[in-house]
Amino acid sequence: MAAAAEALQRVEFRPSRSGWIARAAVMAAIALAIIAAPLLADDVRDQWIGYAAVYMVIGLSVNVITGHAGQISLGHQAFVGIGAFTSAYLVARSGISFFIALPVAGLTGAFMALVLGLVALRIRGLYLALVTLAFGQMTETTIFSIRGFTGGGAGADAPRPSLFAGHQAFAYLCLMVVAVFLLVDWRFVKSKAGRAIVSIRNDERVAASLGINVTAYKLFAFVLGGFIAGVGGSLFAHWNRSVATGSFGLSTALVWVLMTVVGGLGSRAGVLIGSAFFAVFQLVVGALAKGASFHWPIVGDVLVQTLSPLLGALLLLLTLTLFPGGIGQQLLPVRRWLAGGPVSTRGHHRAGAAATAAPGSEPGATAKPPHAAAGVPVPAARDEAPAEPAPTAGEPAVRVRRPRGGGRT
Amino acid sequence: MLTSLVIGVFQGATYGLLAVGLVLVYKGTRVFNFMQGEFGTVAAYATWGLVANAHVPYGFAVLAGLACAVLLGLVVERLVIRPLLDSPKITLLVATVGAALLTISLTTLFGKSEGRVLAPALGSKNFFILGAGVATQQLLLVAVLAGLAVALAYFFSRTDLGLAVLATSQDAFATRVVGISVPAMSRFIWGFAALLGGIAGILQAPIGVFGPGFMTGLFIVPAFTAAVLGGMTSLPGAFLGGELVGVAQSLGIYYLERFHIPGTADLTVFALLLAVLLVRPQGLLGKEA
Repeated sequence: MAAAAEALQRVEFRPSRSGWIARAAVMAAIALAIIAAPLLADDVRDQWIGYAAVYMVIGLSVNVITGHAGQISLGHQAFVGIGAFTSAYLVARSGISFFIALPVAGLTGAFMALVLGLVALRIRGLYLALVTLAFGQMTETTIFSIRGFTGGGAGADAPRPSLFAGHQAFAYLCLMVVAVFLLVDWRFVKSKAGRAIVSIRNDERVAASLGINVTAYKLFAFVLGGFIAGVGGSLFAHWNRSVATGSFGLSTALVWVLMTVVGGLGSRAGVLIGSAFFAVFQLVVGALAKGASFHWPIVGDVLVQTLSPLLGALLLLLTLTLFPGGIGQQLLPVRRWLAGGPVSTRGHHRAGAAATAAPGSEPGATAKPPHAAAGVPVPAARDEAPAEPAPTAGEPAVRVRRPRGGGRT
Repeated sequence: MLTSLVIGVFQGATYGLLAVGLVLVYKGTRVFNFMQGEFGTVAAYATWGLVANAHVPYGFAVLAGLACAVLLGLVVERLVIRPLLDSPKITLLVATVGAALLTISLTTLFGKSEGRVLAPALGSKNFFILGAGVATQQLLLVAVLAGLAVALAYFFSRTDLGLAVLATSQDAFATRVVGISVPAMSRFIWGFAALLGGIAGILQAPIGVFGPGFMTGLFIVPAFTAAVLGGMTSLPGAFLGGELVGVAQSLGIYYLERFHIPGTADLTVFALLLAVLLVRPQGLLGKEA
């Protein structure tokens, strides 16, 4: 009761006029920084921005399947790869416009996800993760090895459309696609299907008892994720201007999963930051290294390139054990403030404070108890848990606590 | 065709050996352990490093390699599994995937990404069985698998420690009540599984060339399929499943290759995994799904 009253009090928080101006200014600054970035950057940096945007699209697609629907996909290279090869084939060999090939690539990704989903979605949990892993590997060695389709080991050309041939223009194109899918994801989560899918993630049996068609909605999430992945694959191919089977190995698929987990499953901003970080970090390390190596006492010569997957895996393990909500959870106070809430949430110690104070305080004491219960696929911090009737749209403070604490334990 | 059968049996031995470790961890801690292959890779690398670079006698190198694997198992148990024991099983799965990825990067760092050759344990003679070329190493692999099967069966039905492990897997709380330390059992299970993975890696590495992550990339999916086919909780089932997956894969390659389909090995394994999970999710010898 006390908690509810407290929550109500917080709903009544309204920023002053200057508060709104400050919030608007910060939002405008973020938007402007993203829009201006490709303009200010040189050619190499524009390539990085484009790559980051490609990874963002892939991250959003993993987020739909794993973050929203709670199904682990360890075979994401199947969906991304089919989109990449289809798009490359259509543009380079059939002379079809890139702007038609892009959605078609998405459709092939969706089709792939549909096929897998139709046969495999009866299988649940750990076993489904296993099936997706086997599916990804199988796709890699069968479909992606058909020489006529993928060009075998040499790879296939994937020319860019003339209008977006430059790195800067292509970066803008990729960012536009990211913006479109952000919008799609936002509307999707707010829709009936989105609410149904989140409720399935929270508890399949309860969802089924409420009359939600569990398999159909899971399939829908799979297909949507597959579509986004296919489009991401197309961008991936044309960003690189060519595409080869070697780009879609197991470890790549695992990196896509871990960048989403590190970003924070279910948190759009977190996923975007996580994806961009992993994309750019790879390229930066690659650029710095240029095949260079340095000498370590015991290890001997170390190729600098090998450090990037190392750091990725380390980040994943740290995220899982110490900050299960990922980057998204750390961003929560910022997001709350931008949405018109207060910076600090008094009387929010049990749940919210642990999330916000995690980095500075001792991890074992604050971060663990509330998170351990919720874990990753049911992420602790769901700033957009739409299954619950919210009194005011855009006021996350009330909803922040519910899925994490009392509701589940 | 008989030739493929023989190849399948020998291939299946490695799957079975890995699958036993997977089943052991699943029985004991209900975790899908994607690290299992990496225990083998690390053991293979340690052995190779000692034999090829430090010229340590083969036997000692193998022991050191196995010790490395066990150590890795204990470290993973302590740093990754224990802190996450209360989180959902799928989180633990992702964590073992992360640990595997970390290990792969570390082996790449230490061992470089080029292919390595580890000398076979018993010389490099080849035999021909029903037209299939079989290396001595492969005979050794099957022999070790058979020996381990008997030893494990004895261990889990006749020794106190083995029974304690089984008890922990069935009811952790009741086990604690009768005075068995559950964390100690968890440590033991992970160390033991890592030992099995290490044996698999050291025996498999001399068959061909090995590189970072080879046990994960090539063997983890068939090994999981073997474990699922055997019932995921049944140790004899894992041995049997390994052999069945090996034979099925070999026959799949034999029959599908003539249609010029690429990737027949992975295709067969995927189809088998899917078929088992859809038709008989409890596996051949499993008691529960």
